[in-house]
Amino acid sequence: MVVSGTSPQEREFRSWLLERLGQYLRRSVEEIDTGVPFAEYGLDSVAALSLFGDIEDDFGLYLEPTVAWDYPTVDSLARHLAAECVRRVTGPLGEER
Amino acid sequence: MVTALPPRTAAAPTTVPVTGLRHRSWALAARFDRELGDPCDEATVFSYEHAIRLDRTETFPDEICAALNTWGLAHYYVPAAYGGALDDFQDLQMLIRTAARRDLTTTIAHGKTFLGSLPVWVGADAATAARLGGLVRAGARVSLGLTERTHGSDIMAGELTAEPQGRGYRLNGEKWLINNATRGRLITLLARTSPAGGPRGFSALLVDKDDLPAQAWQCLPKVHTHGVRGADISGITLHDALVGPQTLIGTEGSGAELMMKSLQVSRALCPSLSLGAADQALRLAVRFSRGRELYGRHLADLPLTRRTLAEGFADLLLCEAVSTVAVRSIHALPSELSVTAAAVKYLVPSLVDGVIDRLGSLLGARSVLGQQYAHGMYQKIARDHRIVGIFDGNSLVNQYALVSQFRSLARAYLGPDDHRPGLAMLFDLERTLPRFAAEGLALVSRYGSSILGTLPGSVARLSAMADRAPALAGAARRAQQLGDAASELHRRMRRVAPTVADASAECFTEARRYALCLAGAACLGLWLHSNEAAEAECSSGELWRDGLWLHASLRRILARLGMQDGQDGQDAAADDGVFDELYERLVAHYQQGFLFSLLPCPIAEGPPSC
Ligand SMILES: Cc1cc2nc3c(=O)[nH]c(=O)nc-3n(C[C@H](O)[C@H](O)[C@H](O)COP(=O)(O)OP(=O)(O)OC[C@H]3O[C@@H](n4cnc5c(N)ncnc54)[C@H](O)[C@@H]3O)c2cc1C
Repeated sequence: MVVSGTSPQEREFRSWLLERLGQYLRRSVEEIDTGVPFAEYGLDSVAALSLFGDIEDDFGLYLEPTVAWDYPTVDSLARHLAAECVRRVTGPLGEER
Repeated sequence: MVTALPPRTAAAPTTVPVTGLRHRSWALAARFDRELGDPCDEATVFSYEHAIRLDRTETFPDEICAALNTWGLAHYYVPAAYGGALDDFQDLQMLIRTAARRDLTTTIAHGKTFLGSLPVWVGADAATAARLGGLVRAGARVSLGLTERTHGSDIMAGELTAEPQGRGYRLNGEKWLINNATRGRLITLLARTSPAGGPRGFSALLVDKDDLPAQAWQCLPKVHTHGVRGADISGITLHDALVGPQTLIGTEGSGAELMMKSLQVSRALCPSLSLGAADQALRLAVRFSRGRELYGRHLADLPLTRRTLAEGFADLLLCEAVSTVAVRSIHALPSELSVTAAAVKYLVPSLVDGVIDRLGSLLGARSVLGQQYAHGMYQKIARDHRIVGIFDGNSLVNQYALVSQFRSLARAYLGPDDHRPGLAMLFDLERTLPRFAAEGLALVSRYGSSILGTLPGSVARLSAMADRAPALAGAARRAQQLGDAASELHRRMRRVAPTVADASAECFTEARRYALCLAGAACLGLWLHSNEAAEAECSSGELWRDGLWLHASLRRILARLGMQDGQDGQDAAADDGVFDELYERLVAHYQQGFLFSLLPCPIAEGPPSC
């Protein structure tokens, strides 16, 4: 599902997240609605925490472990990750690691 | 390698000269025990006999709890910053262990106030914490309400709701299977503040029953339990209970996170209950084996009996070592407590259940008699201790907490050493710990486990020491085997498919192995950093000399990792010598009236009178 008005980076995060969730949940990517909370697909809150490690691994973005709690859908998390990338490039603090 | 037993003295245990490593928490525990009085004396309020009597009639230990309050135990539940005496969690660990050695039921009933207060210490503002500190020091009981009738481990399924009402909340629902729900004045609740729930849909609230009108709450009947029979295990229902904004702990929506962080701290401390129970079980087993005659000799003269007792002692010491490292981590390595606490809360109660079972077989019929042997204490320990593995996050929940971090744990262990903090502070028992800072707690560990990360270096260091001191060669070889097992384990963990949402049975077995490896790394770290000082200490120094307890602990860990005996004749013979020697140390501790511990701690009953 491609949502209009999203940046290329956000779309990249979205497809990465879908693929990752597909692996986590052993579901095909088509089955996952990007607007539905992860928990409704059976991703428990402890498991959701491990997403932050994957994000750090694949994108070098170090976020709070609770990032998937605060942004609990593919859409909201992808948007947040894209915004974080922009903030880290242009923000006063720069890259953390 | 049998050393002569030190002469049995009738002198008060406190006069035993102590040099070398003197740990203030062990000294505090000795004083606490002494001031509680001789538990063998039926005139003592906190006596073995009294605890058994209360258990038989399912009576709450009111009088004993009052004695504990008089002594000031509740002060150690309150951080120094809020007016209490708690500035080092090792003190609390040793006090809980000491009380648990007399009676688990009482310790669980009394200690619950610490658990109930913990979310406030971790997440509340200073004014709320200071107010609660005052109440706790004055003897108010605080309970912790997470569980509901239809929701146990899955705390984010809770249905008790807190609807915004004015500036505060309106509470409706039930918490059930709650320790001290009836007797407690305050209760820390995890309540649903957003109807949709989810990890941000819950908040923690500190509710004072004294602030509620009588019709707003009702306690549920006591639940009869197989263990901890005297405890107040009950529940509470709230009907349109209105509470003010000051009941909220932290911010709205942060309840699940706050509870998970608080549980890391409590899970690091729970093993103290197991250590106390194991001490009591082992003491009874040693006493029985020395008194019981069969086939014309004492049970203790049979090699199998001695080996069983020595292995029980080794298990206890290894549990003590890893628990101590976990408790020190609360101060020195909080960012990794999600791993460390899950490992010990799973491992220690499970190992101690095993020790109690095994020593129970040694006692035979007397382990199940209700009254005829030692007031029937053994069967009570076995019943009471089963509970420790169930509450505060049961074994599977803690194993799952490890499984969910497997890939990052493996990555950190096998990856380049770009993050290896020095852990001398953690492992050196002489070092003073930094103040506990709740801000340092994290729901998952970013860098895996630094404790396990020290294993390869520790193995190398012990092996270098063994080149100069051949007496360490056996321990060094066992350490090497553990290092190999840990590397293999992490390589397998790395291959675990990322289907975290439904972990396989094999993953849970791997989590057990992981906890065992972490325990081994903790033993090695502790021995390497504390051995010099501890060895100089006269009464427990012999446990540390030539790596005695370390070697025995590693052997017990390797046996559980599936290392077969018998292929290596030389190592097996070295192990036999180690367990023979450890048996002598066990008997010496018993005869001199010392806690079965890595560090000296005289017990109130002194040398055994029977
Ligand atoms: C004496 C006693 C005192 C207690 N005191 C308190 C108290 O003061 N406050 C409080 O809030 N609660 C208290 N409890 C409740 C206790 O914390 C719960 O019993 C515990 O959390 C487990 O919940 P459950 O037994 O309802 O089982 P459930 O959580 O429903 O679990 C059922 C089964 O599923 C397994 N399981 C759970 N999660 C997983 C997983 N991720 N993977 C695989 N298997 C899993 C469990 O091991 C168990 O075998 C107390 C319980 C007892 C017995």
